[in-house]
Amino acid sequence: MKAMLVMVHGSPRPASNIDMFAVVDEVRNQGTFPIVEVGFMECNDPSIPVAIDRCVAAGATEIIAVPYFLHTGKHVTDDLPNLLEQGQSRYPAVRFLMSDYLGHDPIIADVLMDRVKEAA
Amino acid sequence: MDAIILFSHGSVLCGAGQNLFELAMRMRERGDAPIIEVGFLNYSEPDFDTAVARCIAQGADHITIAPYFLVAGKFVTVDLPKRIEAARHHHPSVQFVVAEAMRFHPRLADALLSVAAHSREPGSWRDTDAQAAQFCRDIPQCPRYGTDACPATRARHEVAA
Repeated sequence: MKAMLVMVHGSPRPASNIDMFAVVDEVRNQGTFPIVEVGFMECNDPSIPVAIDRCVAAGATEIIAVPYFLHTGKHVTDDLPNLLEQGQSRYPAVRFLMSDYLGHDPIIADVLMDRVKEAA
Repeated sequence: MDAIILFSHGSVLCGAGQNLFELAMRMRERGDAPIIEVGFLNYSEPDFDTAVARCIAQGADHITIAPYFLVAGKFVTVDLPKRIEAARHHHPSVQFVVAEAMRFHPRLADALLSVAAHSREPGSWRDTDAQAAQFCRDIPQCPRYGTDACPATRARHEVAA
């Protein structure tokens, strides 16, 4: 069973995560992934290792980890892969995959253009 | 003439802004606006003022600033208005409008599913870092500077060896 693990930076202001949770709910509603979990790198719960545990407890045999980040940098290229490798060593039977970061998808242009049109 | 500035924070990491330049190029190619520029608040170039100047040099009289941010934090709500105020002062005949941060949008869910559809095996999880290295500016502030991950540093080591 496939799980999507949405990896989020986290914020000292938890209200900052409300919109992200709404986006993740939208992903759940689309039904592509039977399991969808959110894990935070810092500040908020659950942490990414705990979110990995939840995916596995829910029956995940494949975890597709998606960085909810707009930029590449140390987190995307180093910290997140490290956390996934630790998860892989805890669950050797589970297949771990990591995707590009959110901001790299061309669909972002549509979102920005909608915001521009709303402002007109 | 209408212009859009994609506004982002900026980074000391070489290549970090490349994604935004590619995004601007894609939006230009599909004709989202006659003028599309990228402007950074800190570290990366061009800075916001330069982006404004470029728009105006191309004939812009109406500039919409689109924050490349998921959440409108301090950079968008405090720092950006200051820059815009200064730009208005220098260019009184130009109209400046600020769009919302991305926040919630159903297309963000599509974007998540879209990137997930192209997920990779562990061996290539760090490839984005290698790709970013091609935009090396050889600046001491970059976290890669002086390490093997910095192409300019590596080249100097090879010359010395």
